Amino acid sequence: MNLLLFGNPNCGKSTLFNLLTGMRQKVGNFPGVTVDKKTGLVAVGGQSISLTDYPGTYSIYPKSSEEKVVFDALNELYQQQQPTVGLVVVDASNLDRGLFLFSQLADLKIPLVLIVNMIDLADRNGITIDQQSLSKELSCTPVVFMNARVGLGKNRLLQAIEQQVKNQSAENHFSVNEHILAIEDLMQQENDALARSAKAKELCKKVVTKNETTQSKRRIDQWLTHPVLGYVIFSLVLITIFQAVFTLSAFPMDYIEQGLQWVSQQIAQSLPEGAVQDLLCGGIIPGITGVLVFIPQIALLFFFIALLEDSGYLSRAVFLMDRLVRPFGMNGRSVVPLLSSMACAIPGIMATRGIPNSKERLITLFVAPLMSCSARIPVYTLLISVVIPEKRIVGFMQLQGLVLFALYALGIIAALLIAWLLKQLLKQEGQSIYLMEIPDFKSPHWRNIFTTIFDKIKVFVLEAGGIILALSIVIWALSNYGPSQERENALQQLKSEKQYGIATKDDRQLLESAVLLEHSYLGKFGKTLEPAIAPLGYDWKIGIAIGSSFLAREVFVGTLSTLYAHHEEAGEFSLREKLKNETFPDGRNKFTLASGISLMVFYVFALQCLSTLAVSRRETGSWRIPLLQLSLYGVLAYGMSLLCYQLF
Amino acid sequence: MNLSEIPKRTRVKIMEITQPFLRTKLMEMGVVPGVEITLTLKAPFRGPIAFAYGNTQISIRFEDAAFIKVNPLAS
Repeated sequence: MNLLLFGNPNCGKSTLFNLLTGMRQKVGNFPGVTVDKKTGLVAVGGQSISLTDYPGTYSIYPKSSEEKVVFDALNELYQQQQPTVGLVVVDASNLDRGLFLFSQLADLKIPLVLIVNMIDLADRNGITIDQQSLSKELSCTPVVFMNARVGLGKNRLLQAIEQQVKNQSAENHFSVNEHILAIEDLMQQENDALARSAKAKELCKKVVTKNETTQSKRRIDQWLTHPVLGYVIFSLVLITIFQAVFTLSAFPMDYIEQGLQWVSQQIAQSLPEGAVQDLLCGGIIPGITGVLVFIPQIALLFFFIALLEDSGYLSRAVFLMDRLVRPFGMNGRSVVPLLSSMACAIPGIMATRGIPNSKERLITLFVAPLMSCSARIPVYTLLISVVIPEKRIVGFMQLQGLVLFALYALGIIAALLIAWLLKQLLKQEGQSIYLMEIPDFKSPHWRNIFTTIFDKIKVFVLEAGGIILALSIVIWALSNYGPSQERENALQQLKSEKQYGIATKDDRQLLESAVLLEHSYLGKFGKTLEPAIAPLGYDWKIGIAIGSSFLAREVFVGTLSTLYAHHEEAGEFSLREKLKNETFPDGRNKFTLASGISLMVFYVFALQCLSTLAVSRRETGSWRIPLLQLSLYGVLAYGMSLLCYQLF
Repeated sequence: MNLSEIPKRTRVKIMEITQPFLRTKLMEMGVVPGVEITLTLKAPFRGPIAFAYGNTQISIRFEDAAFIKVNPLAS
């Protein structure tokens, strides 16, 4: 026995789903598409029955890839003849729209329960529905009036479901009206729609009484979508979100890192030195840290997105922004994912799921990693402090600050240009239309918000976490192992040097780890790569640092510290001085304006982030898009850096 | 007249929707020729427009609004 949940968008379907299943939910994808499939268990009359939430739709005839999921599910049901009960949720304030979908499903002969939801809002709108006459009109279907937000009507609903489940078990299966599913021609669908909509409206006339209410509640929309004020308000909202994701997440991220460091220390103390301890403390625990460290950002961003969505503000923002991003092949819904990518691309890419059009979604997801994320900041600031002189230009402007701004702007411009190119290149799959309801404002529902956050974290950890962990271990192994004979020789040579002889114990360790990294597989790789990156102005040390920063961009700074045998405690200042004094064998400065800018530009473009790749794979369902991103942005990074090095 | 041409807060009657895909989609939402709607919002720079029908507002793009032929009603 299966329960299926259908309904229009904005009818409170997810609220009802959360109410019925609680936290016992599974989130995945529908087969073949990246549309959320949520299933959960409902306790009905002593047994647990699985309930599947289907995307919101106005009709069983699909007009978008999300709606296609519903159509496909109905077709599959027909073929498998599984015992099924459908729950159809309708918005009491828009009964005719809901009854349209209901009548299609009823004609399919699926046993249904009709849930008239949000009766409190209807009441406020001056709408009264006569439950008795509605039930009489739909004699075969139980009708339940509900306010799912507060749980009103839950018991009646469970009884109704139990009743339908019993009836259904007796009949064993339902008979689908094949004819209805076979309508693929738009003309026929239209005729069907015209007749159905007339019938639904007629039925509504019989059961709905309406008191005229004032339209004053919509006055606030005039401000929120105002040509000036609207954008000001939305900018403030965005700045708040960005600041929060950026700054508030720093504290829990620190705790996560420190906590796991503590675990690592405990393991180091309790396990004997050797390969197992190395693997655990050097590879696995940092890898796990690399997964968990994203949770605060994901939680915060989805807290805000869910808040905006649940309250109804998001649709106003989408309405306002659509025109501005449309020339770039994106949708008003792309704005929040793109801007939150400036804090971190991981939650940004996950948030593209809200974009209904698959082409616009793909474009947004594709260019999101070009927005400069917070992990690039340590790289930018270090390099700026090394190669950009500290001086003022035109009065109060700091040259260093201006360069940082230029790097951000470069990322945004590149993202828009590539989006525009993709718009020209990608084909539109089938017909699509931007059509969105702007629902009335309502106070956000906390259970919905926290369920969203919880689901997103779960999906990230379970579906992207494994890949991130595995790849981190590979990179760790490459940087910690190398040809043992060569490493031994290099260490021996180091120990015979004068510099080593006069160094303190601490400094000796640093020198040793620098030599060991140099002679690791990653180090050898960096050296082999040197001819390829020399035209960009980089040496093998930078090559190694770039290679290791695939884990996360900020690792670049750490790797350079290791390579230059630099005391982390001594602070960034001394690392900066070391880099400034670093020369090629022929005496030229290594970090010049040209090589510094070339390196910064490299980090603007290059997709130096395993986690982004893993999330991109999860959100597109294959490795095709992430690999395309990796190679395209790699080539771009190389080309642009080469250009910069030659120019400066 | 097209829905894209009329000013905000105008109440109009839908006469015809000339784009088949849009027509079917709107019909499924109950917006069929003959119903009365009010234009409520217009985004700047020929961005989307929104109209009130029933108890919600429905927003569509400016270009699509041009496919909706309407007759303004005396207010």
